[in-house]
Amino acid sequence: MTNAVIKTMEVCRYFGEGETLVKAVEQVSITIEPGEFTAIIGPSGSGKSTLLHLVGGLDNPTSGVVELSGTNIANMSGAQISDFRRDHIGFVFQAYNLIPVLSAEENIEYIMLLQGIAGPARRQRVQEMLELVGLNDLGSRRPNQLSGGQQQRVAVARAMASHPDIILADEPTANLDSKTGIALLDVMKDLNETHNMTFVFSTHDEKIMSRASRLIHMEDGAVVHDERR
Amino acid sequence: MLIMKLALRNLFRNTRRTILTVLLIGCSLSALILTDAVLLGMVDVMIESLTKTLSGEAQVHRQGFTDNYDIDLYMPESASIESTLENDPSVAAYASRVISGGMISSSYNVGAGLIYGVDADQERHLSKLAAAIIRGHYLQDSNDILIGEPMAELLEIKLGDRVVITQAEANTGELSQALFRVAGIFKFGVRELDSNIVFIHISQARKILGISQGSHEIAILFHDVSSADLDPTGLLSSLTNDTTEALGWRALNKDIAAMLEMSNYSSLIVGAILFFLASLGVINSMFMSIYERIYEFGVAKAIGTRPFDLFRLIMVEALFLALLSCIFGVLVGALLGEWYATNGIPLGEMEISGIAMNNNIPTVLAWHQFTNFPAYVILLVLTAALYPARFAANIIPTDALHRSL
Ligand SMILES: Nc1ncnc2c1ncn2[C@@H]1O[C@H](COP(=O)(O)OP(=O)(O)O)[C@@H](O)[C@H]1O
Ligand SMILES: [Mg+2]
Repeated sequence: MTNAVIKTMEVCRYFGEGETLVKAVEQVSITIEPGEFTAIIGPSGSGKSTLLHLVGGLDNPTSGVVELSGTNIANMSGAQISDFRRDHIGFVFQAYNLIPVLSAEENIEYIMLLQGIAGPARRQRVQEMLELVGLNDLGSRRPNQLSGGQQQRVAVARAMASHPDIILADEPTANLDSKTGIALLDVMKDLNETHNMTFVFSTHDEKIMSRASRLIHMEDGAVVHDERR
Repeated sequence: MLIMKLALRNLFRNTRRTILTVLLIGCSLSALILTDAVLLGMVDVMIESLTKTLSGEAQVHRQGFTDNYDIDLYMPESASIESTLENDPSVAAYASRVISGGMISSSYNVGAGLIYGVDADQERHLSKLAAAIIRGHYLQDSNDILIGEPMAELLEIKLGDRVVITQAEANTGELSQALFRVAGIFKFGVRELDSNIVFIHISQARKILGISQGSHEIAILFHDVSSADLDPTGLLSSLTNDTTEALGWRALNKDIAAMLEMSNYSSLIVGAILFFLASLGVINSMFMSIYERIYEFGVAKAIGTRPFDLFRLIMVEALFLALLSCIFGVLVGALLGEWYATNGIPLGEMEISGIAMNNNIPTVLAWHQFTNFPAYVILLVLTAALYPARFAANIIPTDALHRSL
């Protein structure tokens, strides 16, 4: 399949050297197809974040190849990879995803400004995105006026706004209570089903991983199990 | 303009820090404005004291006269120069003088000094002589003489006493004497003048020297002091030829003019010190604000903000900081400067290089203080912000995201 969203081939990421060498990601070869809803699971320190950073073009592998939408990102310059992330990848991190001095609307608008989308189109899409994540009325609020779950939804809305090929979410529910976490995952699942958005998220919460259609188990940097359901 | 919005809001995330930084930079600016205003004020007072006391803003002499005050080097045609000055619109006042060295003797003592023969009316408009009389009266009768207080003490004379002036005649060099009556005691407040000069009517002075017309010196005051600066097409140039020479106060007092030039550097030095300190404050405060936002910048870069976008954001924040500081500094500088311009800064009485300074120096505000100085401040703040801005631009997202979680 050439239209894989993500394809890694024997990717390794080591930190430090000699005595302190840490093999954070070791020989990982995975392929993520469009429309998949994948969870990367494993204990803390197993390399989930490092792998997500690698496939998101935030970090460079020690060895191996990462292809995003068929493009090898290894040879890109700083500004190129920056623009590539902006146009192809949505990110949701564990917490503090939003720029605190901007309202929810402005946070969503921000990424489209980076993309150079014109004003009216931008504002229309902001409202659509807020609607998608169920926050129609809260657009003018600043992040500190939103609950943790609402902030994460805005982050998802922002990620969606740029029309990415994939949204990578690193433990998006880790800072939320379990009910709110599940609600956020339901929003993501819904976007996956209705908009065919590809998601890869990491978690070590049983209830959250049960929502995924594919589970990639990691241990000590290596993929030990990969199951589609 | 999201970047403007972002920058402004970021600036007021930590209002206290921003206000402190604005105070630091703003106060440096107003301090510099005031320093410069005081220096300009002192320079003005010094120039005024130097020129308005006796010497005028420019003087015309026979070529070579000022080398050693040779009495033979007088200007026989001084009347025609006077009529030129009379008809020149830039001239506010002029006074013709016959100057010679001589001996002044009372019944008790003898002193040496310069005898200034002056036209009483002309002199009234040109120098402070009339106002400097502390006892007695100004020149009236033909044998009136005005004597400085220290010289009067030396000669042990009082008003109405008689003194004899002895000097050499021009051209022949023969001794000549004349009797005068002390009409007034003066005090300019400049020791050099008070103890060395006496004033008599110019006609008397000519008589003693044995000349029928002409004078040694014509002092000039202009409506605008800048007319005294060298100007190849100006009045002074037109009065300078093979026999006569007309010089502005700067050329007549080269050492003092040089000293006044130096005072420009004082502002520069004060400015450099103030701004060095202020820029340390700027760098410190910018770095603090960036360190607090490392995670935020990490996220921003992760989602596709280019390094240059962050660099620009920090520079715009710095620009706003600089503009706020300038507004504050200019307002304080203008208010204080204006207040001291009318009330004067009390620096006590002093004499600098033989120039009497009265005890209140009014500050002088000038345009460059409100255009150039703020421009320097903005330039400096932006320069100081380069390093923090580069730091922000170079934040590596993965490091930043790790660090704060
Ligand atoms: N920047 C780094 N420098 C050194 N070691 C790192 C760095 N990032 C991650 N690691 C190490 O790599 C391993 C995997 O970390 P991580 O990917 O964060 O795991 P997870 O997200 O599954 O908790 C850990 O042992 C961690 O300490
Ligand atoms: Mg992690």
